[in-house]
Amino acid sequence: MRKAEIGATTALALHSLCAAGLATGYWLSHSLYSSSLITDPAPTLRILTVCEAPVVILLFSWLRRDHDRCSFIKAVARGLIGLPIGALINAFGAIVLGAPVGLKFWPATFYWSMLMSLFTFVPAACVFGASKLDWQQILSYSKPSNIVDYMLSVPAHGAIIGAWLGAWPMPLDWERPWQEWPICVAYGAIAGHLIGMLFSPVLIFLHRRHIRTKTE
Amino acid sequence: MRMRLKAAAAVVLCLHCLGVYLFTRGFLLTRTELSAFSLPSDLLQAQAPCCSESDLPSTTDQDLPGWTPPTVDRVLILIVDALRFDFVAPSSLFETKQKWMDRLSSLQHLASTHPSSSRIFKAIADPPTTSLQRLKALTTGGLPTFIDVGNSFAAPAIHEDNWIHQLLHTGRRVVMMGDDTWTQLFPHHFNHSYPYPSFNVKDLHTVDNGVAQHLMPWLHRQDWDVLIGHFLGVDHAGHIFGVDSQPMVQKLEQINAILQNVTDIMNSQKHLENTMLIVMGDHAQTLNGDHGGGTSEEVETCLFAWMPRSLPSSISSIFHPSTCGLGLNGKNICTSTMQQLDFAVSISALLGIPFPFGSIGRVNPELYALSPGSWDRQWLPASFYEDPSSDLKTWKNNYAHVLCINSWQVKRYIDCYSATSVMGFPSDDLHYITKLYNEAQSRWSDSKNSSCKPENGTIDEFSDFLLSFATLARSAWTEFDLKLMGVGLGIFIISIIFHLFVFERVHSLSNVYDNKTQKSSNHLQIYVAFLLVAVRAVSFLSNSYILAEGRVANFLLATTAIGSIRSSLVYGKIKKHDLVFLILIILIRFGIEKGMSKQAATNSFLNYDSGSDFDLNWLPSLFEGHDFVTLLSEISPMIILFLLSFLSCKYITCTVHSRYIKWVVTVGTMLSYLFIATFWLSERSFAPKMVYVIGLSLFVLNFVLRYLGILEKGETVQRLRSLALVMVSAWSPTILILLGKQGPFAVLVCIFAGWSIISSKNKGLLDDCKMDPISVMQWSLLAICLFYQTGHWCTFDGLRYGAAFIGFDEFKVVRQAILLFVDTFGISHILPIFSLPFLVTIPNSSSSKGRDKTVIFLNLTQVYLLYGLITAITTTFTVLCVAIQRRHLMVWGLFAPKYVFDAIGLLLTDVLICVSALYYC
Repeated sequence: MRKAEIGATTALALHSLCAAGLATGYWLSHSLYSSSLITDPAPTLRILTVCEAPVVILLFSWLRRDHDRCSFIKAVARGLIGLPIGALINAFGAIVLGAPVGLKFWPATFYWSMLMSLFTFVPAACVFGASKLDWQQILSYSKPSNIVDYMLSVPAHGAIIGAWLGAWPMPLDWERPWQEWPICVAYGAIAGHLIGMLFSPVLIFLHRRHIRTKTE
Repeated sequence: MRMRLKAAAAVVLCLHCLGVYLFTRGFLLTRTELSAFSLPSDLLQAQAPCCSESDLPSTTDQDLPGWTPPTVDRVLILIVDALRFDFVAPSSLFETKQKWMDRLSSLQHLASTHPSSSRIFKAIADPPTTSLQRLKALTTGGLPTFIDVGNSFAAPAIHEDNWIHQLLHTGRRVVMMGDDTWTQLFPHHFNHSYPYPSFNVKDLHTVDNGVAQHLMPWLHRQDWDVLIGHFLGVDHAGHIFGVDSQPMVQKLEQINAILQNVTDIMNSQKHLENTMLIVMGDHAQTLNGDHGGGTSEEVETCLFAWMPRSLPSSISSIFHPSTCGLGLNGKNICTSTMQQLDFAVSISALLGIPFPFGSIGRVNPELYALSPGSWDRQWLPASFYEDPSSDLKTWKNNYAHVLCINSWQVKRYIDCYSATSVMGFPSDDLHYITKLYNEAQSRWSDSKNSSCKPENGTIDEFSDFLLSFATLARSAWTEFDLKLMGVGLGIFIISIIFHLFVFERVHSLSNVYDNKTQKSSNHLQIYVAFLLVAVRAVSFLSNSYILAEGRVANFLLATTAIGSIRSSLVYGKIKKHDLVFLILIILIRFGIEKGMSKQAATNSFLNYDSGSDFDLNWLPSLFEGHDFVTLLSEISPMIILFLLSFLSCKYITCTVHSRYIKWVVTVGTMLSYLFIATFWLSERSFAPKMVYVIGLSLFVLNFVLRYLGILEKGETVQRLRSLALVMVSAWSPTILILLGKQGPFAVLVCIFAGWSIISSKNKGLLDDCKMDPISVMQWSLLAICLFYQTGHWCTFDGLRYGAAFIGFDEFKVVRQAILLFVDTFGISHILPIFSLPFLVTIPNSSSSKGRDKTVIFLNLTQVYLLYGLITAITTTFTVLCVAIQRRHLMVWGLFAPKYVFDAIGLLLTDVLICVSALYYC
């Protein structure tokens, strides 16, 4: 089985690839279009999404659960379908939490929720498909037996918590441009996601040691 | 066990009352506005000791318009908003010369070349240093505080006596130009006014250019006595760019050019020869352009006075020894210090009008000496004419007279205020003040009876009296009592500790009864609930979060809803009520945003751009020209009302078991809804009255029946449920009609959200009736959201005054206050607290059939204690934040109203919990 081979180092490497995707997107938007998240959020988020999407989908399709029944192509397709679904869920959540709904925010909200979907929904969609049990398990962390579970759940939760925290500066009266929706929320999500990606190999390492001591 | 909730609630209520009382005494400075006005005839009628018949001013007739003869013909007052002292004073007085200094060179030039007819004063303003309060203080001579208990609710117009009013009544002509705050304060007082909008801080020029445009033509005219010009550009430049900025320098140079023009005209025009020019600030500003607080940067403003006529050279001995520095042209410029409090009475003395009734200032000797009339022999009897006594002696005699009248007027105000105000002065201080006054008066009459004329001694004694009283008034009206505030806060904290202790006792008791072991899960939920409370409480430290409190509560509520969906996913499927809850949260949020955009229209602190956030402009354009949109907005409240009446009818018949009660409540509720519909259709005023009567009688009936034991039938859970339902049915029609046409929608949202919270509680727990801390937290967040959703907010202009007049046309304080109170706190406090028993009784009564009565009451006690605790913790944090931020710029505009609303809300919550404990347990 492939999943047994994945160790903390591999996880770190895979996460670094994801982070590299983000960094490439940021660099591209900075150098090619000389736009940053603060000046024009929607185009920057679009570039980030475009750069991050193939990395995430390909990586996590490679990590897919039952290798025997599910081909690589099928996993990629699941990821591609999962992208808009996850975006919808994220956008709905953001609106429930108070994201503005005005017409002029639609593009930014759209790309932001795409990016959030890549952080949260798409990896799990690639790995699990529509298996309800796996989804429940990853949400409850009742039995964090699997290493891929850590890779999925820790960065995703990091992104969501980061975005939640990122929303707090918005009502402050500092009148900074980055307080606009969705800039600080996107920053929070990216930061939380990166921290989650750093954190998950550590957890994996601890988990493996725990298992090893148990078996010994 | 039943006693426990009652006793605990009563103790907590008492502690909170004490805490609120002490903190309020220390923090909320209250002053009663007296509506009395000074009349020209007062002095003679009251037989004031200063003016016996024989001692009337020799130069005037019997029909003297004021109390003292006027000493100048006209006064030209130019107010430069937020004028710092160092804008005017020579830079040599300060350590380093900054680029904003020495810009008003025309004033410095006058001060250095005419040292005996001009003076620069450092004018000390009293906090709060906001324009409205300062203008009020400058015109009434009082110390406006946060709560000026007066006759009017909302309109800013001044109802106290002031010199503008006195000018109007003595037939003087007043012209005003500039800041439109003046026309709000004095709507009918000006002969001519040229108001310009003051709210747009980003506009530096409209007001100033407007003043400049009208000022010069008016200076050439003769048909005015007092001219007020109010420049706003300096204040706005400070707010936007700060003091150390190029726009500020440009602004000051523009003002300087205008002032240069004015002084040129005054020098050249004959009719302005006896006109005093006063250039002053209403308050100062910090280097960032902020003002409102009491730091020296904010209170040290400037007053410059100049008289075109030359004055006797002995004036220099009247001027206090003062700080002097070299001006731009190398000559010496001297400055004095005065209190802004003295301005109103000084200007009244200059113009010879009765001193404003509530003025507590002293006629400033230096300002008074700058007027030519004060050197005339007004009060000297004819026998004195031959005596070629020095000018100085004459002036002292005049000034002593004026001070005597001034002291008499202040003493009259003290007596009147002590007799009528809500909170008077401490009696020891009053005795001391009275003693000072009596001593001064007896010395005055002694000196008059003997042949020698009043000398320095009398002046000093009167001054002593006036200054002592000003100090006393300041301590009562402008200084926080930190000791009282600290004790109040301490009592709040003690009450929280007591609350926690009782809650812990009940909690452990319920765990004993609970043989199943879900302790850890329940503990986790308590921690999550307290984390949410802590997040909310800490957010009050920032003014922005207080302004956005509704959105913060909504954000937290949404977070709990999303969390509960997550746990639904873990334990099975997403249920219907979870999704309904999310949609309701979105609806509530739109309501809150609508309320905020309304608030932004009136609140200068709130920069809420409704266009960008809640942009539904495209929506009406779709339906433009269609009548059915207006029809829909008319009809939808009716439809929702119908739905509500159907729901409540159905629910009452299902739940209440006693046949008679069922019948009475159903008929009462149906009739109320019918009356509400009638009122909306026909605007008949009897309908709301009927609704109030039905609501009140149902409420009383419930208590009577409860004590007669008629509602005791049935099983505990069912009985509690029907009790709660009957109680809520009694209140909801009244609250609904007061909320207006948004009412049905709000109540419907409230019902459905409550249902969602109840159905989604206890996800992982097997036991349905166990108290769930998160549900209680959601309940309290929902209450806050509903408060904001129904268009309320925590300032006094956020009160919906229209609601007080539903069903009544004429104004009666108590009745209208009760209606306003029910409207403000009805949907956010009364309904949620009375409906709390649903949280422990609704779910799945089949499993609770065999339940012990004690356990249910334990759970109910826990729910009420927790709800009270949540409210107490947030309010304590509000109190703490208010105490920390007491010197904040927005303390009077934002923190203090928030404190008042929270304190009232807390006491109401405690009272309602007591009532519920009596009723349900």
